[in-house]
Parts: sequence; structure tokens; C-alpha cells
Amino acid sequence: MVEVEEPQDYLDVFQSQRGGFSFENCKRNAYLAAQANIKPPTAMKSGTTICGIQLKDAVILAADTRATEGPMVADKNCEKLHYISKNVFCAGAGTAADLQHTCEMMESQMELLRMATGTEPRVCTVVRRLSSMLFKYQGYIGCALVLGGVDVTGPHLYQIYPHGSTDKLPFTTMGSGSLAAMAIMEAEYNENLSIEDGKKLVAKAIRAGIFNDLGSGGNVDVCVITKETGGAILRNYEKPNERKFKAQHAAFPKGTTPILKEEIMKLVSVEEDVVMRD
Amino acid sequence: MQAPVEQRWSPYADNGGTCMGVAGEDFVVVAADTRLSQGYSIHTRNCSKVTQLTDKCVIASCGMKSDAITLHKHLKARMVMYEHQHRRQPSVTAIAQMLSTTLYYKRFFPYYTFNVLCGVDDEGKGAVYNYDAIGNMERVPYTTSGSGSALVMSVLDAQIAKSNQTIATPSLDKAGIVELCKDVLSSVGERDIHTGDYAEIFLIDAAGISKTEFDLKLD
Amino acid sequence: MSGLMEYNGSAIVAMTGENCVGIAADTRHGIRQLQTVSCNRQKTFQVTDQCFVGLAGLATDVQTLSQLLNFRMKLFTLREERKMQPRMIGNMISSMLYEKRFGPWFTEPVVAGLDDNHKPFVCAFDFIGCLSTAEDFVVSGTTSEQLFGVCESFWRPGMNKDELFETLSQCLLSGVDRDCLAGWGGVVHVITPDEIITKKLKGRMD
Repeated sequence: MVEVEEPQDYLDVFQSQRGGFSFENCKRNAYLAAQANIKPPTAMKSGTTICGIQLKDAVILAADTRATEGPMVADKNCEKLHYISKNVFCAGAGTAADLQHTCEMMESQMELLRMATGTEPRVCTVVRRLSSMLFKYQGYIGCALVLGGVDVTGPHLYQIYPHGSTDKLPFTTMGSGSLAAMAIMEAEYNENLSIEDGKKLVAKAIRAGIFNDLGSGGNVDVCVITKETGGAILRNYEKPNERKFKAQHAAFPKGTTPILKEEIMKLVSVEEDVVMRD
Repeated sequence: MQAPVEQRWSPYADNGGTCMGVAGEDFVVVAADTRLSQGYSIHTRNCSKVTQLTDKCVIASCGMKSDAITLHKHLKARMVMYEHQHRRQPSVTAIAQMLSTTLYYKRFFPYYTFNVLCGVDDEGKGAVYNYDAIGNMERVPYTTSGSGSALVMSVLDAQIAKSNQTIATPSLDKAGIVELCKDVLSSVGERDIHTGDYAEIFLIDAAGISKTEFDLKLD
Repeated sequence: MSGLMEYNGSAIVAMTGENCVGIAADTRHGIRQLQTVSCNRQKTFQVTDQCFVGLAGLATDVQTLSQLLNFRMKLFTLREERKMQPRMIGNMISSMLYEKRFGPWFTEPVVAGLDDNHKPFVCAFDFIGCLSTAEDFVVSGTTSEQLFGVCESFWRPGMNKDELFETLSQCLLSGVDRDCLAGWGGVVHVITPDEIITKKLKGRMD
């Protein structure tokens, strides 16, 4: 017989639950959905345009910056390019929370791997780990990734689908604006491009997504990864969508809004001298 | 055994867009964007939602574009018929009533349009009428319809009706309301993915109808 | 609407100003559209001296999560003997929500606070923990569309604490007046480097 130790208090429960997903609420939520006929809400998606190209000795990734909740823009300037290690970055489309946390987890795994082995991680390692994890969750973790990096074996560009399938390609686009961006890529990609021309090409592809796909918008973020300097995110590389008109309304005068009660809590800093006694 | 196949016919589409109308003492301002979209794609960036019916009345329609075109064409024909019969143009109030009847006539297969009818009435006052898809009508000081209507309405409440304000501030003049409409549509263009590209503002007063255009964001 | 997010109704908005930050929430606790249970529901919670968390969504989860947050904050203070910075609180909430990715809490939190350098910080989450920060304002709850509209129009850079209060409360009241699920009064907290101003608003009670 295996002894199962009952948790003594909340701290034990808390300790035992550290790490991994918790399914505590699943039964309750299923009950709520079944009994009260209440459907669960939809998560924030990034109906995105992302793309990447592989050049002779560099990889360039790019993304737009719009996050949507249904037809509303939830974030006008969000970050879709994620750091994984100094030489590997990825661009994500799909469920925003999944992307954030999956990339953070991969970042920590790669840092641990780097410290354990003393070498910089290879792109294929990241791809393998991501695809195994996503396959395990059968597509329920909604991450569509364009992953790129430069390692000892040269530049690599991959795309990974939510179910865990991977492709290794010279250029790729993903997200709801992928068709618009791919139109530019197919017409203009060439593996002999210089890094400057490559940056221009990915930015043009993202712009095509921004302007022609309603799920994409905002600014263009670009990430260049080279052998010599590693990767660097050029945040808001292009800003084609600044607000064009803003009226200068008169500010509401002080005391406009009717108030019932006012409380002011003063913050004071307390300094304690700790006297050590013997 | 093959499972029975369910056939469905869905004749309605939502083409997005936002329009708004604000009535003044002796004028009225109508503003609408010009994007025509469906789902995640833009059909065209320059498609007016507003049709001029008489010398002092316009209608702006959001919802499904094909129904709006049909409705506007029908209304324009009725304008011509009225003029031939009565030797004058119909008043805004008359058009408002007629539009209500026209919409309710299709009660069980409605035009999927959400209309804002604006004009200057026979007393020279600004008039704005708000409709639902099946002809419920109300004369209001200001209104809005379309995909970004939720974003517009609260701003108009605060800036025109001045609700929840204890200190009286001067109400907006003609130029102020035009400025407000431009600002509100720009705000909606920031947050509603179906609103954008360009916008039109119609100012109707004793001098007639004047139209100005301005740019929204293209993303 | 028949979603869990629309079951109780809520409106929360947070805004930045010049060396100050504010958060406003409505006070209705209702059951769908037809029943209002109380009109002094707490939806914003003070987690540190200079940081508030607003919780929109299903009322039961709002309460549970607020208690859970309180517990985590106390545990942190005991272990580390220092104050949590708003950005850190944001990251903590993000992982607390994502932990329950497949059986979520139905709340969309908002964090508003001043960090040690008196720099304002606001961020919002979706219900599974996607953190999005903003330089200007964040909104949450059933009234989010209306709040997006008013905030886009009324927010301006560099507001002082009085301007920030008026803008926040006008945004909240105008927003909830067009949402039947939220309203029935409101509460605004403005956080400045040396005080926290809390005001209860007189809103429409219908």
C-alpha cells in the first residue's frame, strides 16, 4: 500500500501544486456550463501577421503589434517577438496567453540547458522541445510559431503549428495575415539578400498584413539574428499607423463629478532602528 | 446509412462600419467611416454609407451593404415620386415616418440595416432619427449605429448631454460638434477593427449640405 | 449574453497620470440583467501600499482570487521582507491565471500602481493570464467597449491627480450608463507618491 499523505493546511496544498497546470476548477466550470447553460468566454487572440526569412548568415523575423478580443483591439502595441536565448527568437500567433507562457518556459529551459552544458543552445533543440510539448497537448495550447536562430551549424528558420508539426523553410509567414504577407515573400524573397534588404522585405510583408488583414495592425517589430552579434529586437521598426487626429477637449474642471464620500490615506515612511541585544 | 444533411441558408452579412448623427439648434452633423469589410478582410476602403435624399436630409446606414444599397435606392425613388405628386420635396419628418413604414413592411424578412436619418426640419431645427432594423423609430438629440456604436455613445453622453456633471460648461457650437465627431470616429478607428480608412462629415444647415472628408487609420 | 463573464457584470478602468495612477470600478453586484443583489460590491483590492488590483468577472472568482492574492502577498512579505513592485504583481497574477489554463478563473484582472521611482504602471489580463501593459489606460469587464471609447477620447498625457480623478470618474460613469450590467455607483482610487485618495462616486442607480 502506498501511503498518501493528506495535506495539512493551505501551505501544503500550495506547495504540492507548484509547477504545471492545475485542474482544480475544471469540474466546477463544467458544472456551470452544463447546469446554468453558461458558455466560457473567449481568450485574447492575436489575429496576427508574423513572418521570417533565412539569409546566408542571418535570420530575420518580424511581427505586427495588434492583439484582438473579438472585433475590439485589446492592445495596440503588444510584443509578439519573444526572446528564447541570445541566438534564438520566435514570433507567435494564436492564443496570446499560451504564447507568452510557452515562450517564457522555453526561455528558462534553454538558459538551464546553457548553464548545464556550457554551450549555446541549438535551434533544433528548441524546435524539438516545443513540438513535443505542443503535440502532447494535442493542439489545445494554441501556439503557431515562426522560430529562427543562428547556431554552430548556421542559420535556421522553422515554423511550428499548434498540434506540433514542424517545417524547416527558407521563408515563411503565419497568422491571419499570412496570405497577404506570403504574397510579398513569394514575389521578392531571395536568399542572397543583404541584411538591410532583408529587414526591408520582412517589414514590407508585415505591412501587407497590417493593411489588408483586419486581425493585424499597429506597428512593425523586427528581429535580426546574426552569428556575430546574436539577436536583437528592433521594437517598432516602422510606425505606419500613428493616430491622425486628436481633438483638444477642454479638461473637466475640478469638482465636475458628483461625489458621496472622500477618504485620503497619507503614506508615511517608517524607519525602524533594530537594536541587537546580546 | 448516410446521416441526414442539414441545409442552411443565411442571407445576412455584417459589413461593419460606424455612423453617427448629432442635432444642433439649427443644424445637424452626420459622420461615417467609409470602410466596407467582412470578417477579417476589407472589401473596399472608399464606400460611402451616407446617401443624400433631399436638399436637407441624408440617411446613413450600417449593417449589410447590399440591403443598405437597396433601401437607399428605394428611398430615392420614393423621393422622386413624392416630388412629382406634391411639387415639393418631402420634409424630414415625412421621410422619417416613411422610412419606418418601409422597414416594418419587411418585418419578417428585414433589411439588415441600422439607419440614422438626419436633416433640418420644417421649423429649421436639426433633426436626428434613430431606427432599428424593423422600423422602430425615435427622434433623438444624437445617436450612433454600427460596429463601433458602443464606443461612440458614451462619449456623446458626456460631451453633448453632459450627464454626470455638476459644473455647467458651455455647450459645443457647430465647429465644436464637427471637431467632436472627427475625434470620436478617430477613437473608434483605433479600437474597432471594422472601422477605419476614411471618414465623411456632412453638415446640414440653412445654407444646405456641405461634405468634408478626413483620414482615419488604414490598418 | 449568457457567458460567465457577463453573469455578474463589472466595469474597471485604470489610467496613468504624471507621477500618479488611478483605478476606478463600479459597485454593482447583479445576477444577469434582471436582479441586482447589492450596490456596494468591492471590486478593487489594495495589495501593497501603492498598488491596487481590480478584478472584473464572475463574483465568486473575484472573491476567491482576491483572497488568494492576499495570501500570496503576505507570504512574499514574510519570506522576502520587501514590497512587491507593480510589475512583479502583474507577472505573479499572470502565472496564477495561466496555472489554471484548462480550468480557469473567470476574472479579468487589472493592476494599477506606482513603483519605487513613482513611475505609474498599469496592465490588464485576459482570463487565462495574457498580460498586456499600456502607457495610457487599460479597461476590463462587461463595459470594456464603452470604456475603450471614452478613454480613447478623454485620456491625455501628463494629467495631475485632480485631472486624473475627473477623467477617470467621467469615463467610468459615462461608460456604465450605457451598460445594463454595471453601474449603481462607483469608486475611484488615485495613487500618488504620498497619499491614496479614495472617492465614492454618485452615479445613476437604475
